[in-house]
Amino acid sequence: MTLLEFARGPGMQWAIWIFALGVLWRLVGSFLLMRTRDLSKPKGTAYAKAGMRAMIMRSIPPHELEKNITFQHLTGYAWHLGFFAVLLLFGPHVPFFKQFLGFGWPTLPNIVVLVIGGFTLAILIALLFRRLTHPVMKQISAPDDWISILMVILPLVTGFASYSHLQIFEIRYETLLGLHLLSVELMLVWFPFSKLMHMFYAFPARYQVGASMEHKGVKA
Amino acid sequence: MSAVASDIQRLREDLRNRGATVETTELPAAERIERVKETFRRRLDANMATYLETCLHCGMCAEVCHFYEATGEGKYTPIYKVEPLRRFYRRGVAPMGTLRKLIMRDITAADLDEWQKLVYDSCTQCGRCDMICPMGIQISPMIGVMREAIAEAGMQPAENKALAREVLERGTIMGIGPEDYRRIAGELRAEGFDVPLDKPKAQVVVLMSAMDAVLFRSAIVATARIMNRLGLDWTIRTNAGDAAVFDWTSGDERAKAAVIRKIVAETVAAGAKTLIVPECGHGYAAMRWNAANVMGTELPFEVLAISEFVGREIQEGRLKVKALPAGKSVTYHDPCKVGRWSGVFDEPRNALKAIGVEVREMESHAKTNYCCGGGAGLVLNERATQLRQGAFRIKMREADATGAGSVVTACGHCRMTFVAGAQDANWQKPIESLVELVAANLA
Repeated sequence: MTLLEFARGPGMQWAIWIFALGVLWRLVGSFLLMRTRDLSKPKGTAYAKAGMRAMIMRSIPPHELEKNITFQHLTGYAWHLGFFAVLLLFGPHVPFFKQFLGFGWPTLPNIVVLVIGGFTLAILIALLFRRLTHPVMKQISAPDDWISILMVILPLVTGFASYSHLQIFEIRYETLLGLHLLSVELMLVWFPFSKLMHMFYAFPARYQVGASMEHKGVKA
Repeated sequence: MSAVASDIQRLREDLRNRGATVETTELPAAERIERVKETFRRRLDANMATYLETCLHCGMCAEVCHFYEATGEGKYTPIYKVEPLRRFYRRGVAPMGTLRKLIMRDITAADLDEWQKLVYDSCTQCGRCDMICPMGIQISPMIGVMREAIAEAGMQPAENKALAREVLERGTIMGIGPEDYRRIAGELRAEGFDVPLDKPKAQVVVLMSAMDAVLFRSAIVATARIMNRLGLDWTIRTNAGDAAVFDWTSGDERAKAAVIRKIVAETVAAGAKTLIVPECGHGYAAMRWNAANVMGTELPFEVLAISEFVGREIQEGRLKVKALPAGKSVTYHDPCKVGRWSGVFDEPRNALKAIGVEVREMESHAKTNYCCGGGAGLVLNERATQLRQGAFRIKMREADATGAGSVVTACGHCRMTFVAGAQDANWQKPIESLVELVAANLA
């Protein structure tokens, strides 16, 4: 079995299983903890509306709060959008999803995706540099932060290498493609054990803060 | 030094001296750690777990924290201040905790030494960080759990320890108790102000505040004038204790519960429909949000902050005020526990507008307001002086930028911080009380 065959076959299957079961384990484990009932008389009771509002409005903070975080804020959203654009709208990726889902969708021209991918990679490297040098980021960073950013950078780097058929150390295209798939699988395996889980937690947490502040008459 | 500023200094010294003499047996490190963990275990719930699972370590919370802004030191990042709680959760309660134990170290005694300074000296639980987190994490309630855990381990600063001990052993706050309330009421009556004490039954119970008793007696007079003008059936129950629930800030849950239970019992005994908390942010938050949970049942009366009550009475036409001549401008400082913690934003502003005052808003106001720097007991914590003053200067700059003639607030704790901060920075801006301003302009 070649590296590519492994990555396309059992490697991918195992990665998806670990991802799915790990995510489920972590979500169920935390959501099933006891919830404390608040007996105080609420000021507002439109919890669902407030929660859903917070899910959206947390992306648009008031100016006086946002002015100090503009760089992190914009780069944070930009690289997420870039990453998902590359993942979902790149021509060679769609057939991969089609084999699982049974249907495909329109894609962006490859050159556009490559430019988006380049920007995304540049932002991630800038954020990595910031994490290495900024006093706050140096203070709070843990192994999870370093490994997670590496796990996101790797598929982009290997993707560029395999798409452009780079002859790095005379590695064959098939091997590069295999490495690209393995980097994605590595990210899937790492996902449930890491802060990448915020993909599933972010919106429940936003909902929670919206509902909790509604109880006290404050718009989150 | 102004008389009030020197009184505040005297209070701090008294507390520190008493705190230093509180007899506590220093617990062995292992027991301190165990008590901290036990508190974490008791307090962790699904909501907190969601927050602890979600943090990205993006550091945005630091950029809205006045202590980080004032110092530029990474250790003042709000989410870092709850790291022991997060560590406990991730190694133990969290799914995959067993796996993490293999690679993540446990909480140590050195951690507790470091974090007791972080949570008591560099956080006012103002909740400004709660407003920015892109993941929606509420950090300030978790700081409360950290403080409770540190208090359980007997590691609070001397001043906080003294306050908690005083409440539990003597039932007084800052030396003020029922006898003092009776004396003050007598003195005020002699000055011509009717202050009804200990009526067996009344529609409204008004709490006293030790801060007002010691520093701002004019606020008690103002409250009495407003209540009398409204013709309400009201009383102060001397045995109700005090609105200045500093224990809410010290982390000592037993002391906090003791204060709350006394207030609830006296309000129920009076058959009151309304409990009015004077200008005291912590007292209001404790009674409005914690009391029902401490009692284990919904309260049979409504709880209002005096600023909320006065604004409501003016707006609904029951309290008549006269407008000041044009030209007076003020900026309103939202006390964190009354504003961001409790949604009282419009009522105090409406009261100010009703007396013809131009309200000039600071850039950060209402739910994004900067704390004065002294909340959660920091104003009395000598060790936190430098940090508090740095945070106060941010507030000062925002207030100056409005060009308003004075700062008005509705919390004695904030007022203390402003007076002490102004003294330190030689800042000339007058600091006014909302309730006093309204009482001075009753029609």
